[in-house]
Amino acid sequence: MSKLNASDIQGFVLRGYNLPVARYLFLHFEDATRARSLIARLLGHITTGQRWDAGKPQSTVNIAFTHRGLEHLELPLATLLTFPVEFQQGMRQRAALLGDTGVNSPDHWDPLWRNDHIHVHAWLGINGQSVEALDTRQAAIQSALDQTGGATILACQEAAAVFINGKPTTKEHFGFTDGFGNPDYLGVERSTQPGQGKLMPDGKTWAPLATGELLLGYADEAGELPVAPVPHLLAANGTFMVYRKLHQNVATFRAFLDRQAALYGGGKEKLAAKFIGRWRDGTPIERSPDKPDSSIAQDPNLSTDFTYGGDLAGTRCPMGAHLRRVHPRDAFGFNGRLINRRRITRRGLPYGPFAAEDQPVSDADDRGVVFMALNASLSRQFEFVQQQWVQYGNDSHLGNDKDVLMGNHGGHGRFVVQGDSSNTNPPFVCSNLPDFVELRGGDYFFLPSITALGMIALGLVDPR
Amino acid sequence: MPNKNGSVYGLTILSPIIEDEKATPSHDLQIRNYLAKLSIREESPFAQAPGTHLARLVVMDDVIYVGMPACEEHLKSKYLVFESNCDGELDTYLTGLATNIPEHLDAIWKHCVGYPGAANCEAFVDYMKACQLDTTFYFAAVNDKSVPESLRALQTQSAVANFIATHQGADPVTLQRDFIEFAAHLESQPPPPPGSMGPYREIKTGGRNE
Repeated sequence: MSKLNASDIQGFVLRGYNLPVARYLFLHFEDATRARSLIARLLGHITTGQRWDAGKPQSTVNIAFTHRGLEHLELPLATLLTFPVEFQQGMRQRAALLGDTGVNSPDHWDPLWRNDHIHVHAWLGINGQSVEALDTRQAAIQSALDQTGGATILACQEAAAVFINGKPTTKEHFGFTDGFGNPDYLGVERSTQPGQGKLMPDGKTWAPLATGELLLGYADEAGELPVAPVPHLLAANGTFMVYRKLHQNVATFRAFLDRQAALYGGGKEKLAAKFIGRWRDGTPIERSPDKPDSSIAQDPNLSTDFTYGGDLAGTRCPMGAHLRRVHPRDAFGFNGRLINRRRITRRGLPYGPFAAEDQPVSDADDRGVVFMALNASLSRQFEFVQQQWVQYGNDSHLGNDKDVLMGNHGGHGRFVVQGDSSNTNPPFVCSNLPDFVELRGGDYFFLPSITALGMIALGLVDPR
Repeated sequence: MPNKNGSVYGLTILSPIIEDEKATPSHDLQIRNYLAKLSIREESPFAQAPGTHLARLVVMDDVIYVGMPACEEHLKSKYLVFESNCDGELDTYLTGLATNIPEHLDAIWKHCVGYPGAANCEAFVDYMKACQLDTTFYFAAVNDKSVPESLRALQTQSAVANFIATHQGADPVTLQRDFIEFAAHLESQPPPPPGSMGPYREIKTGGRNE
């Protein structure tokens, strides 16, 4: 695998921009010709994966389409039908399979995602250095919209890093440091760090995952090409994106943690760390089970470099800790080979006002995280993780238990903290878990290459 | 013994399906239709007969040619494939099926060549054995535990987990008193019915390339 052609791949796929604010616009197309001319106008705005040798830009723009959006752009039927079934159906129709039921069911989603007549056709993501930079870029996009009449903006989602003391951080609303675990892929230029790719047979070293786990048109971890639409040129260098707006019930989380911590011998912060698998500062408890250690959390050579092979009973990091469930590393044996086709790349940012621990909060406050995940196969990667590792516990030897943080518990969930005979690390069971996170909507998107965008804009998609 | 792993038996049976151009729908389709509508969980036929850990019934039409460099081959007939992880001795297991779910067996296997019916138990067992292949290498559902033992273990695990969850921090006297009562109650309980211990999950497919 040589280097990928970064100028043909949307930058959002190849790197987390690490820009502090973002705005996600949701577009609706009316007329295919006008919509295609809009895309032609936007082409020059789209941020590619090329290196930023001259420093970070003020803002970036990326675009992705729902299957309905591609229909409205009048892609040939013979192309539309070759997209994977789950993408054709969209996330709403996959609700039962994903466990998006109860409070997470589509009935409770934001109106944007419930409208049966006016659907979301495209996602336009703007990331920026500042809100002013977002405004400037949006004004330019608005003028393209006005001049072409290609689309209407149905809704707009603001998102921003949590600022503490005036500086952007990677904290999320429950108070944990986030964003450690994105995988490395062959051919993607990135400062790699141990623990972010796949575990090698020696059980110690790490290597990048096959490119085809992220991008269409390349071999995946099984040596196969991922299922992709025809023609090849439309699919290659593209990927699929999951967009989920996850509301966080911060008041419920804090009250639950306080209540349980009063019964737990290890103390509140340790219990919080057991939920996630990291202390709030990001220190992995597998590496430092007794206390946070900033020399680990802040060292890229240590913060993601750990395995569970020496902790199969979960006495350091519980078997059900969020981190261990969604990225089990070697926890299922075989030096981690069982999980290499189930990895996803996460993007996204928190939304809503941040409240420090000493500030009052209510579940009704509009805050959460815009979760976006990229993968070559929605069904094999994101949907599998969601269905089997988040909403079920069998692979983690946890029976029917769901992920403590993300699970759709309905007040009946359970989380077991495995422990030992010491006073500071006792075994503990949290019962009657409420829903800490609620889904407020989202969909599946196709994020095409620059070439494919041009083909769509010019009406050149030809499946023959 | 290639078909056994400890006390768990790996059964593989291939029964040729009747080829009859006049049958409409064809016999293989009639089997597919019946299998597609079988109940799951406690109502599954394999939950109603003793000794099945997990079982699978599949209609195998033919070997599909996938292109070069494979060579093109075909089966002599369509087959009904029956795979089962089951307890104990094969004769006992097959007799249990014939005794408990004869109507299901007949509805499925009547479309197979030479099937004698489940009413004649001896003939049924002989027929199944005549269709048997050595399994040699298989996924063991559990490690050397019978179905009743596995169900009892699941019941105990679930009950003990509930007991722990409701007694964390209890004083030793209460804990001992409640535990003695709990253990006696648990022991008096019958094992849960097969198929009842999982979460309710509709059978759903996730699309291509699972």
